[in-house]
Amino acid sequence: MGKKGKKFLSVGVLLMGGLLCLSLLFMPASAQARNIKVGIIDCYSGPAAVYCNEALNGFKLALKEINKQGVLGRKIEFTTRDTKFKVDLALNMAKELVMRENVDVLAGTINSGAALAVSEAVAKAEKIPLLVWISKSERITGEKGHRYVFSTGENTAMAGKAAGVALSRKPYKKYWIAGDDYEYGHAMADAAWRNLKALRPDVKLIGKSWWKPGEPDLVPYFTAIVAAKAEAVILCTGGRSMANALKTIKAMDLTKKVAPWIHTATEIAVLRSLGPGAPEGVLGTSDYLFYYPDTPENRALANAFKSAYGSPPGFPGFHGYITAKFIAEGFRRAGSLNKEKFIDALEGLKIDSPVGGKLEMRACDHQVVLPIYLGVTKKVPQYNFLISADNITLSGDEVMPSCEEIMKARGKK
Amino acid sequence: MELSQSISFAALGGHFFVGLSRAMILFVVTSGLSLVLGVLRVPNIAHGSLYMIGAFAAYTISRLFGGGSIAFWLALVISPFVVAAVSLVAERLLFQHLYQREHLMLLLFTFALMLILGDLVKLVWGAGEYRSIVPPHLLKGSASIFGSSIPRYNLFLIIVGPLVAVGLWLFTNRTKMGKIARAAAVDREMVGAVGINVSWVFAFAFVLGCFLAGLGGALVAPTISVSLGMDHDIIIEAFLIVTIGGLGNMWGAMVGSLIFGLTQSFGVLFWPQFAIVFPYTAVVIVLLWRPMGMLKSVW
Repeated sequence: MGKKGKKFLSVGVLLMGGLLCLSLLFMPASAQARNIKVGIIDCYSGPAAVYCNEALNGFKLALKEINKQGVLGRKIEFTTRDTKFKVDLALNMAKELVMRENVDVLAGTINSGAALAVSEAVAKAEKIPLLVWISKSERITGEKGHRYVFSTGENTAMAGKAAGVALSRKPYKKYWIAGDDYEYGHAMADAAWRNLKALRPDVKLIGKSWWKPGEPDLVPYFTAIVAAKAEAVILCTGGRSMANALKTIKAMDLTKKVAPWIHTATEIAVLRSLGPGAPEGVLGTSDYLFYYPDTPENRALANAFKSAYGSPPGFPGFHGYITAKFIAEGFRRAGSLNKEKFIDALEGLKIDSPVGGKLEMRACDHQVVLPIYLGVTKKVPQYNFLISADNITLSGDEVMPSCEEIMKARGKK
Repeated sequence: MELSQSISFAALGGHFFVGLSRAMILFVVTSGLSLVLGVLRVPNIAHGSLYMIGAFAAYTISRLFGGGSIAFWLALVISPFVVAAVSLVAERLLFQHLYQREHLMLLLFTFALMLILGDLVKLVWGAGEYRSIVPPHLLKGSASIFGSSIPRYNLFLIIVGPLVAVGLWLFTNRTKMGKIARAAAVDREMVGAVGINVSWVFAFAFVLGCFLAGLGGALVAPTISVSLGMDHDIIIEAFLIVTIGGLGNMWGAMVGSLIFGLTQSFGVLFWPQFAIVFPYTAVVIVLLWRPMGMLKSVW
């Protein structure tokens, strides 16, 4: 090697050494600053996209607040995948998020079937926490619950209990059950009827009918219910079917012939779209109303959401918001990104509720304790859409199955 | 499993009218699909997307004009033309170069177009809310027929369906353009040989078919929530209907729609728990009995 070659070699070695030193200097810092990654699987292109986008907005709103101070010196970031309301896609995308994106936590979905599948085949199998935020099947944290799955929204057991309490106070005896022919519809129907029958053994179920989710024409179904002379109908529907159901109730003046109860019928997403054209007198339940209870905290959330996204939140926005808060507080309490410690931290964790008071993630079943508001759709002068009026609050303890009941249900597996 | 115990005459009558109104919506949409199938031999899977665009356009037009009764009628008239304009662009830019291709290729192409149009709807209108159109004052509420409460709007649909059928029949049988379109469907080269611009005849038939999809979307908008996914809901039913009616046969589309709408409605009455399967069972029975459809297929 000549003189020139040696010079080049020494300069090269110096440069490489410098780079190595720089990388050693910065590497620990960047590793320490690795953000917390949340993988979100939900339906962003199908009919249910309205609810899922709102849940995401609630999540983002909370993240803005959380990331101002950070969590364990990091920020929380997220990535989304569109499941198109399909179970198989949800499974593939959840796996991809875990395997390729190395997410710390999974969150979503609106589809109860997808939530159950991801819970079993990804969360449980890969030991990664899954926080379900809209899906309402009680099996998610009940019969099929396990260490790695949590729910930050109310479920069919809670809504069903509220339905049982509400309807047991009414004089109706002849009931019909109708709804979406998938996991949520059937779970909701079972829970509502089970609770009503327990409180009022004299009620009679005279028929059932099921339609495909999003069914555009519900007139034949409602005509059959009227023809059967049912006094009340338990409608187990949601999303786009909910809007269709409410429009059909209005068009047929159904409330004059049969009394309908629908969980989330008082929800703003649908009532706002229908405007004054929504039917009055529909008995409904929800775990979040932006105007009730009228607390400073609830007003603050509604205003923040409205200024960020143009309208106040419904229950999906609320669920998305508290999910982010639970994730942030969970990691703070865990003190590290260790998933097992995060789960331990979430169990029994209490956070400030955006409507006032505290929200608890129940340790025994990983189900958040939420109240259910029971009301009836009504026109009011303050809004150009119907709201839930004459509201009664049923506390979480009143509507949730006991831990003993949950353990019994899981023992039957 | 319980069969409905007591079925009264009133219930039968009520369900007949309800089924008829559903059949008429299906007919308006499938007649357009059938026209495109019959004249152009194109299995247009994107037909459902044009139906969805019709509903979204009707919503926007209704809002632009204040959302009242007049706004509804204007939306009903204008939105099919919006869809026709979209389809004319698609035909001139894309479809006219593909008519001679194999059906599988056309299926794949229109499937891709359906996905693109679905995303375009999402871009233009967003996926953040449900949309609703209020029917005009005259058609609000319900009327009692055979003791059953039928929404007045559904009765309006029962009138619109036959009007569309007669109009389409007059076009294809009594107008020069209609006759040329039918002739071109049988022998394109012969029609071209006598000096007729077949390309524009095909364009007209395609746009008319899509216009009907848009009309169907505008008609259905007051009864449902206008939202993404409407295209997927309708297209499978539409293809089943044109298949059981006879591919490309307009009256076949009417027969198919009646079979589908009425079996769905009576299925709910007779066996509500399993009502979903009734129209599909009817499709299977028809195809076992008449594999080429109820009426003569032009394929």
